[in-house]
Amino acid sequence: MAKILIPTPLRQFTGGADTIEASGATVGELLAALTTNHPDIKKNLFNDEGKLRSFVNIYVNDEDIRYLSKEATEVAAGDTVSIIPSIAGGR
Amino acid sequence: MIELSTEAWAVMAEHAQNCYPNECCGILIGSEVEGKRLATLAVACRNAYQGEQKDRFELDPRDQIAAERKSRELSLGVLGFFHSHPDEGAYFSQTDLKNHWPFYSNVVMSVRALVVSDAKCFRVDVDQTASEEEELIWPKS
Repeated sequence: MAKILIPTPLRQFTGGADTIEASGATVGELLAALTTNHPDIKKNLFNDEGKLRSFVNIYVNDEDIRYLSKEATEVAAGDTVSIIPSIAGGR
Repeated sequence: MIELSTEAWAVMAEHAQNCYPNECCGILIGSEVEGKRLATLAVACRNAYQGEQKDRFELDPRDQIAAERKSRELSLGVLGFFHSHPDEGAYFSQTDLKNHWPFYSNVVMSVRALVVSDAKCFRVDVDQTASEEEELIWPKS
């Protein structure tokens, strides 16, 4: 099992839970398990084409999956997967 | 509404002054009780925007991971974010609107000639098409 850390805005879709434990060999499998058990979270993470939204960053431990194997990035038992909101701005 | 503790505000103001004339950014940590948010901690973060930073900012996700870890250790939560507008007013721009998430309290500080002269807070709607000002209580208010 790996841990998925849920950011505060998305906890309304996990019954208030800030951490979800899930099984899967890759990030994609873990997120699939998450969205199967908590379907309302899906539209916040994925676009209509099923791709991760651009303003959602996924980290395995301290590594950005965009610089690993994206959703095929392997996850081991005990790993922590973080869902990080992309925050930026300016005038 | 959201209230900023004296300690949180001190971190925010110092960070805004240190980064001037560039934009600063950071994270607000605290708790929420019956709709009232209290930010007890502010975490100064790096501006990771690759380019001119006097009118743009981007939070470094690694700073967000560290802040999330810290908030959990303290049994608190990430309530929102802050950034500065050097020599501009404390408003929520279209760029801000498109790059912030719903739920969070987003404090914008106006910094003029190294002085933090104003601060306002905004929340984004679920579609990221509009923002609404949120009541902000800060030490100067």
